[in-house]
Amino acid sequence: MLKKTAIEKISQLAAVLMEKGTLLAPVKEVAGHNFAEINDPQKVDLNFYNTIISPKGAFFPPKEDFIKYKIGKTITEAEQIKVDSKPVFLFGVRPCDVKSFSIMDIHFNAAGIIDPYWSQRRKATTIFGYAYDLNQPVDAADFYNSLGIYAADPEGSDIFMVKKDKDLLLKGITPKGEELLAQLNTLVDAGKDDEKYYEETLKKGKEYKTRFLCIDQDVIAKKLEAVFNNNDFWTKVSSACLSCGACTFVCPNCYCFDICDDTIFGKGTRRRVWDACMFTDFTLEASGHNPRTQVYQRLRQKINHKYSYHVKKYGVISCVGCGRCTRSCPVNIDIYSIVEEALKL
Amino acid sequence: MTDFKKIEENLKKEAKRLLESGEVTVVLAYGKGFDEKHPMPFAAKSVADVDNIVFNEYCNYNMARYLVRYPQGTKIAIAVKAADSRAVIQLIQEEKIKKENLVLLGIPVIGMKNPKTDEVIDSKTTCGMHNPVLYDVLLGEEVHGQKIVSPYDVLAEYEAMDKDARWQFWKDQFDKCIRCYACRKACPMCYCDPCFIDQNKPKWADKAPQSPGNIMYHLTRFHHLAGRCIDCGECSRACPVDIPLYLFHKKVAKECEEMFNQVSGMSIEDKPVLVNFRVEDSDKILE
Repeated sequence: MLKKTAIEKISQLAAVLMEKGTLLAPVKEVAGHNFAEINDPQKVDLNFYNTIISPKGAFFPPKEDFIKYKIGKTITEAEQIKVDSKPVFLFGVRPCDVKSFSIMDIHFNAAGIIDPYWSQRRKATTIFGYAYDLNQPVDAADFYNSLGIYAADPEGSDIFMVKKDKDLLLKGITPKGEELLAQLNTLVDAGKDDEKYYEETLKKGKEYKTRFLCIDQDVIAKKLEAVFNNNDFWTKVSSACLSCGACTFVCPNCYCFDICDDTIFGKGTRRRVWDACMFTDFTLEASGHNPRTQVYQRLRQKINHKYSYHVKKYGVISCVGCGRCTRSCPVNIDIYSIVEEALKL
Repeated sequence: MTDFKKIEENLKKEAKRLLESGEVTVVLAYGKGFDEKHPMPFAAKSVADVDNIVFNEYCNYNMARYLVRYPQGTKIAIAVKAADSRAVIQLIQEEKIKKENLVLLGIPVIGMKNPKTDEVIDSKTTCGMHNPVLYDVLLGEEVHGQKIVSPYDVLAEYEAMDKDARWQFWKDQFDKCIRCYACRKACPMCYCDPCFIDQNKPKWADKAPQSPGNIMYHLTRFHHLAGRCIDCGECSRACPVDIPLYLFHKKVAKECEEMFNQVSGMSIEDKPVLVNFRVEDSDKILE
């Protein structure tokens, strides 16, 4: 089923979705766009390239409260915080980010290790994928083509959206998406030329070129293993690294978290918050020993985790080439260049 | 206008000379990034590394940030623009580094740009000076005859707000914070190990990126930098969510200057203003 709406009427669609559940969509902030819960349908803004922070927060929020308790009281008096199971609509996700969700599922939603918070949210969410605007230039930092992802891939989306001049075409991909699409009465049926445009865009998406490096996942995994002890290489590529967490926090595939108890005036909350392998205290052990005290060790861990350990353990690279880490890095460290250089060694 | 190509040539020449003669073991400068608009901080350790050195209007990085990474006694040459040289001076005042181990390659420059927005950042987020305060070798022509712009001019709008409006302003700004700590990591004066925010016993603030913890982190950092911030603007530039941290730092710097008649990082003979006690010091701070 292919439907359409005028982009200037997008707030009407937003209003309908807000009646049905929670709407998460890109909104314009000072520094650029980010996904946010929509309270005012006018705020939805599809005029963006990609968001600064990835949409992973829709399933894995920066802060997740588990239990609220009072110090000195028994455990039975503690309150467990439930996930809101209201339907969620995640609107306007770029194809590379949609792909990232399936990689994150390995950690939060795979057989044997099911994270109830992630999986409940995943189940409750309908994903509206959104093709990159093929008439706009590609950002210099992007390299999702290298990871087999293209600008207009509908895979993984429930509904896939394509911009056609002043209109937005919406295609149902999964049964869940088809069902929802049929209920959205602000949309009109698309015509024959729209169908043609949609199909052509999907095809043309393959020619919308980002940076490209031939990455065979097994080759890069072995290569990184082989150069693990090449300290000269790792020191060189990390010499600028400030060891902040900007890259991991904007990354759609970084999933490390810290569980902490925040207590004040006898009241406590046990929660998990995003953590970053680039932080000095990430590997600090209770004994005081820290196996990764140097910046190069931490950067090496980040690259190896994504391109080597993850391949060996789960058979897929834990990176979708969205370019966010490069764009957000205060010193322009570029993961693509590091992988490229490692392959040359 | 600044001749960036000429400075790059001179920087390479000096770096080569210093490394060849063994006068220094490392040259902290700027290197090629993934494209021209995105150069990177770079540590040249051999003559072969020198080819990678670049200099253009996007080389904002304050290389003084990297000085404390090297063991005491390492002979280092460092490229310094105006604010960077002030950071070096401030670090010398705080006894983190010694002048005798450094060769300062001074870069007078006008027209540095923010790569994200392409706007000229001189005096907006930075200290507004064009010539390095301290240097051993000068790599370009000193900039003179420019209209002098106070680094505090950008505070006008902020200062026009009343107390409640300012509090609301910062609360809204800190709500954006994702606690990636890029600000403290980019800051040349943030060298505490461990940083108070990483401590568990006592735990000074929430780990979660939400209001009380964010405010605690930023306000503590702001005050910890009182009289020490040299106004390079790196914290604001590093922030992935564009929190205008420079506003608070500039405001505190301005008040410090008014109260103690001393600007941070201007002379190696000075003592850090809040470390030093002088009988004639203003009592305003106690009011």
